[in-house]
Amino acid sequence: MLRTSLRSVRALGNRPAAAAAGRQWQWQVAAARRAVVPGQRFYADGKKPDEVKIPASETLTAPSTPPPPPSEKVAPSTISSKNAPLTPPSPPPPPPAPRRKKGFFRRLRNFILTLTLLSALGFGGGVWYSRINDNFHDFFTEYVPYGEQAVLYLEEMDFRKRFPNVANRVTGRRPDGEQVKIPAQSGASWRVADGHESGGRQSSAIQKVAAAKPKSEPAVVNEAKTETGKLPKTNAKEKKGDIQKPVPAPVEKKPESTPEPTPAPVPSRALAPALSAPPADKAWKAPEVDEPSRWPPASPIDPLAVPDAAEPVVQELVHLLNDIITVINHDGASEKYGATVGKAKGELNKVGQKIRQLKTSVEQEAAQQVKKRVDDFDKAANELVSRLDAVMSAQEQQFRREFEAEVERLKQSYDNKVKLIQERERQLAEEKLNNTLLQQAIELQRQFARDIKKHVEEERDGRLGKLNELTAAVASLEKLTAGWNEVVDATQRTQQLHVAVEAVRASLEDAHHPRPFTKELVALKEIAAHDPVVDAAIASIHPSAYQRGISTPAELIDRFRRVAAEVRKASLLPDNAGVASHAASAVLSKVLFKKQGLAAGDDVESILTRTQTFLEEGDLDNAAREMNGLTGWSKTLSRDWLAEVRKVLEVRQALEVIQTEARLQSLKLE
Amino acid sequence: MAETTTPSAPSRAVSRPVSEALLNEKWDRCLSNLIIKSSLGLGFGVVFSVLLFKRRAWPAFVGVGFGAGRAYEECNYSLKQAARDIKRQA
Repeated sequence: MLRTSLRSVRALGNRPAAAAAGRQWQWQVAAARRAVVPGQRFYADGKKPDEVKIPASETLTAPSTPPPPPSEKVAPSTISSKNAPLTPPSPPPPPPAPRRKKGFFRRLRNFILTLTLLSALGFGGGVWYSRINDNFHDFFTEYVPYGEQAVLYLEEMDFRKRFPNVANRVTGRRPDGEQVKIPAQSGASWRVADGHESGGRQSSAIQKVAAAKPKSEPAVVNEAKTETGKLPKTNAKEKKGDIQKPVPAPVEKKPESTPEPTPAPVPSRALAPALSAPPADKAWKAPEVDEPSRWPPASPIDPLAVPDAAEPVVQELVHLLNDIITVINHDGASEKYGATVGKAKGELNKVGQKIRQLKTSVEQEAAQQVKKRVDDFDKAANELVSRLDAVMSAQEQQFRREFEAEVERLKQSYDNKVKLIQERERQLAEEKLNNTLLQQAIELQRQFARDIKKHVEEERDGRLGKLNELTAAVASLEKLTAGWNEVVDATQRTQQLHVAVEAVRASLEDAHHPRPFTKELVALKEIAAHDPVVDAAIASIHPSAYQRGISTPAELIDRFRRVAAEVRKASLLPDNAGVASHAASAVLSKVLFKKQGLAAGDDVESILTRTQTFLEEGDLDNAAREMNGLTGWSKTLSRDWLAEVRKVLEVRQALEVIQTEARLQSLKLE
Repeated sequence: MAETTTPSAPSRAVSRPVSEALLNEKWDRCLSNLIIKSSLGLGFGVVFSVLLFKRRAWPAFVGVGFGAGRAYEECNYSLKQAARDIKRQA
């Protein structure tokens, strides 16, 4: 009974936060959770240790739900619980009383029965309705104790029915997770130490015993127990043994389950048989034990006080056992379980001792090992040190040798250096001396050179001056000769010019017929050598003159006679003369008187006579002038002759100019 | 006159006549012209006299007269032109 209640509570404890969440969410989560819970149960049945451990710790919470215990809690620690073993456990539970004592408690029993029935019915109805109505669900889960668990369980069953695979899977998985979780949640050890609830609960039981008020306490405990005991049953009814067939026989199971889970660690085996026995007894003798338990309240099972409680495992075990003991005490079944609990105690003690022995042996072993290790280390260290020493000494010697060698080498090198430096110094000094010597020698040489130079200069000054004069004289002489050369050249040139001019003149005068004198002129021009005067003179000559030659004076006179006859024929012509006048003039001119000498007058006859005279005198110039004075037909007729005379005159003039130039040049030279 | 000019002419350049021979040349031309034209006139006159005037003499003389007159006029013109040229040149 107790177990069932505890288990249900545990299921609740697993998910306190989930309850607050929304319903749908809760539903799923709950399903998952629930999947675990039944699994745990299975395992518990299959001797899985996890499950059972929780009840130990959780049992404390179950009683805590009723209000009275908390008020009486004086916060005693684990020690108090341990110290309290002497106090009688909770006095005889009331539930058996009504059954047995019909006279006294008939009414009470009836009342309780009806109450329980009603409450069970109400609870069942509530659970059922909460599944239908959400609001009621919230209310129910929030305010009715165990309502949530019941509803969740139901939901879970439903879920399982719907999704058996999922449920199996979940169950399959969970156990492992649970194994890990439980130790953390169980907190049996430290709750005993710290938890107020656990302490309070235990202390309350002890104190009640100490205060000799068994009646009041047991009643409360009984009520709690009955409630818890019924819960699983109701649940079982509601579930209708779906998958959990073990539920119908919770009483038988729980005893078995309890022993296994408690020993999580090694000592579990030792305890398991010890503990398994008493619950089995209790199952059968529970009703019978009632009476004896009443009068020997002074012999409740002592809460276990293990000397080696320092060990956490042992402590846990002790705590567990103490819990069991307290429960038993509460139940008043100390008589029944006294022996087994005692045995368990003994076993526990043994376990403690064993653990201690193990510890000590392990410690010894460890110490030995440590010692060995330390020795090894020492040895190794010694070896190392000795080796190091050897190496060090060897190194030291080597270093010393090296150092000495190095010193020797350094010394030698420094000596060498010093020697070298000395050598250098000496060389330097010598070189310096040599340099000074050389400098002096150079100085002397320079001095000598300067002296010699001075002497030479002095010597030279006299002779050089004379030499300069000489060169000047020579230069002047050269100039002179050059000048004379020039003069000679010039004279030569002038002479040549003269010759050329003479040649031209000769060619002109010598000829009986007019002939070209171009060659002579060219020679003259060459000889003149670009003499501007000569050039100008030559340029003044009409090209036809030297190309064809000029007529001789005899020719000119001859021609003049012919011209004069013609001119005379036309001498009498008027301005606009026709055939008649011409004929008249030609005829009449025959009869004109001829003049002689330099006749005065502007008429044609006189001009002609004058010209003739001039020509006879050889004065070509004047003759030309006279002929130039003619006009009209006369002039036209005498035009050619005049041109001829002019040509001759030009040539003559040019020749004269050249001759004078030549003469001038020859004069210049003189 | 022709004798005097001829010897000088060949010696001189043939292209251009000597200045003193200018008038002579003109005279030569005039004379030749006269002869040709008068002879032409004579010929015409003769033909006319024979054909028209029953061999009378006067048509021949008239023809010569026409020819000579024509030649004279031409010569006169040429001389005057030459004189004008000379004037212009001067």
